[in-house]
Amino acid sequence: MTTTEKPDLSWLDDVTMSELERNPYRTYERLRAEAPLAFVPVLGSYVASTAEVCREVATSPDFEGVITPAGGRTFGHPAIIGVNGDIHADLRSMVEPALQPVEVDRWIDDLVRPIARRYLEQFENDGQAELVSQFCEPVSVRALGDLLGLQSVDSDKLREWFAKLNRSFTNAAMTEDGEFANPEGFREGDEAKAEIRAIVDPLIDRWIVEPDDSAISHWLHDGMPPGQTRDREYIYPTIYVYLLGAMQEPGHGMASTLVGLFSRPEQLEQVVDDPVLIPRAISEGMRWTSPIWSATARISTKPVTVAGVDIPAGTPVMLSYGSANHDTGVYEAPSTYDLHRPPLPHLAFGAGSHACAGIYFANHVMRIAMEELFEAIPNLERDTREGVDFWGWGFRGPTSLHVTWEV
Amino acid sequence: MGFAVTVGGRRVECDADQSLLDACLRAGLWMPNSCNQGTCGTCKLQVVGGEVDHRDSPFDTLTAEERAAGMALACQARPVSDVEVGGAGDRATHPLRDLTATVLEVADIARDTRRVLLGLPEPLAFSAGQYVELVVPGSGARRQYSLANTADEDKVLELHVRRVPGGVATDGWLFGGLAVGDEVEATGPLGDFHLPPESDDDGGPMVLVGGGTGLAPLVGIARTALARHPSREVLLYHGVRGAADLYDLDRFAELAEEHAGFRFVPVLSEEPAAGRRSGFPTDAFVEDVPSARGWSGWLSGPPAMVEAGVKAFKRRRMAPRHIHREKFTPADALG
Repeated sequence: MTTTEKPDLSWLDDVTMSELERNPYRTYERLRAEAPLAFVPVLGSYVASTAEVCREVATSPDFEGVITPAGGRTFGHPAIIGVNGDIHADLRSMVEPALQPVEVDRWIDDLVRPIARRYLEQFENDGQAELVSQFCEPVSVRALGDLLGLQSVDSDKLREWFAKLNRSFTNAAMTEDGEFANPEGFREGDEAKAEIRAIVDPLIDRWIVEPDDSAISHWLHDGMPPGQTRDREYIYPTIYVYLLGAMQEPGHGMASTLVGLFSRPEQLEQVVDDPVLIPRAISEGMRWTSPIWSATARISTKPVTVAGVDIPAGTPVMLSYGSANHDTGVYEAPSTYDLHRPPLPHLAFGAGSHACAGIYFANHVMRIAMEELFEAIPNLERDTREGVDFWGWGFRGPTSLHVTWEV
Repeated sequence: MGFAVTVGGRRVECDADQSLLDACLRAGLWMPNSCNQGTCGTCKLQVVGGEVDHRDSPFDTLTAEERAAGMALACQARPVSDVEVGGAGDRATHPLRDLTATVLEVADIARDTRRVLLGLPEPLAFSAGQYVELVVPGSGARRQYSLANTADEDKVLELHVRRVPGGVATDGWLFGGLAVGDEVEATGPLGDFHLPPESDDDGGPMVLVGGGTGLAPLVGIARTALARHPSREVLLYHGVRGAADLYDLDRFAELAEEHAGFRFVPVLSEEPAAGRRSGFPTDAFVEDVPSARGWSGWLSGPPAMVEAGVKAFKRRRMAPRHIHREKFTPADALG
């Protein structure tokens, strides 16, 4: 900011959570133009909204990871997304081995393709479907659920859990006094966690004495001295991170990509005809409607100046990746889905030491699911009798996607 | 002057005025390719070392961004230094060869349609459905013609040629002075329009749609498919304007006699005739086949017919990766 005059941001006082959840783009477009780093009262936090400032804060040595207040209230401590130093290093070393590309390549196809086939078989001859609940979300949760060792938990239960944890995690409205404005909003998340504990605790009991190849079993045992396991209280917050974001977002990413492609019928046809284009279609879908829209944050470790704004040490900044990916300084006509736009990097998976650990896994879950979808139903059309609504500020995607095809 | 082109660890000699694709195929090194004229993009590859001249690569097929990122069209790019390319090049193929063939037979088989048989001094290895390029004598022009042969018919090449009024290759040559005993210069085999290797062919049902002399490669493919799996379902549609354009009816009747699963369906678009289907062949397919799930589809003919075929196949839910199309511009569009 070259001007000494501070922009008048009083309009931010009127911004409400439900408005952000319905459509955050208008607010953030104005933030990007007027104040790429701004204090947003309803969130009780500074917000970074442009690509440049999000990237700067995410990768700056003067910032470290912190969980948003509502996120911390939901997940507890130490969640992998909100810790630093040795604990963060230990948690990353715990989750990363199973997510390395060479490791994922070993089993991803055998894991995901049969799951996608199984869900498709349930509706592929119906001539109509609602893809979010019948395909995108079930494939997403089943693939990760089986990887984690949660084969005994059915897909609808996993979907219910991520939805409840999501609403709790993004119950972000704060009062002027820095209190949660809607404490009741955490109740369903608490209920979900109680249910998760009741179901996962016995599994952990078993994995402690009978390790297997499931991810959570590895989390308990890997890198520990013989006869010892990581404390379950230590890994539960990260289990919740998985049961929310990692379960939900590949489904969001697929559904958004499909909605984007339906907005460009000629591009949909190209992708159906040439599945090699699917990864590019997904990448643009993730840019166009970033599933993790505004769910992560950093905190300053010393007084710093960002985008012309002086902030003291210990100031949290929310990273609005969904807004950064609509930055007109980087993308032409960013609200348009365009498979053929120059393939510039986007921030949908974050940046810096807290960048998503599951990029490779998630991209391949989405790719394989969409390959199977187009293989089984190459004549897919959006059911134009139904609209498509997107919802979410912290996490964002279509709430439903009705399709039809000739059978 | 020549350069070395390295593909997947193999070195191939390439002249300064030779395309990377031509050099690789001549060395028996497979590389994806279809149209060989820069329009389909099948042979796009990454240059990881050295430099190439893009020559006539159209910007529609190879964008400025792609050029800047080191992409090239193998069928157009010429080396200007030793070059290393990524991807591709890990499969053997039938080596591309220059051929001198002798005209054995020229027969008028339908309205403005000729069958030309070319004898080879030694057998040519190819896959049914591939094509050869003929050099039009005196003009330097080259024209692509599909082979109607199966791979074991490797000493006599069968081409179907449609006349284009005033066309340099047709009126000027193949329908003009061409006579039995003439020598013909050719290059081949080319193209990726052919069946999968026998080991990958599960004998599943197939539909083939040819427009005009686009029928030729389908004749080779259908017979190869039936030889591999004699009882498989094979539907061959031939789209033409009128009954006068039909040919080889006896040949298909015989094939149907030998194979209960084979059916030949001629479809007339402009001149209806009693006892014949009329309309477009791709519409006839949609009428005849309620579901093409698990089928493979083969399309060869005018671009509009091929596009309609892709839509028709998908409408009947054929998996797109099982839809094959001959992508070269039909010779009759060039004359």
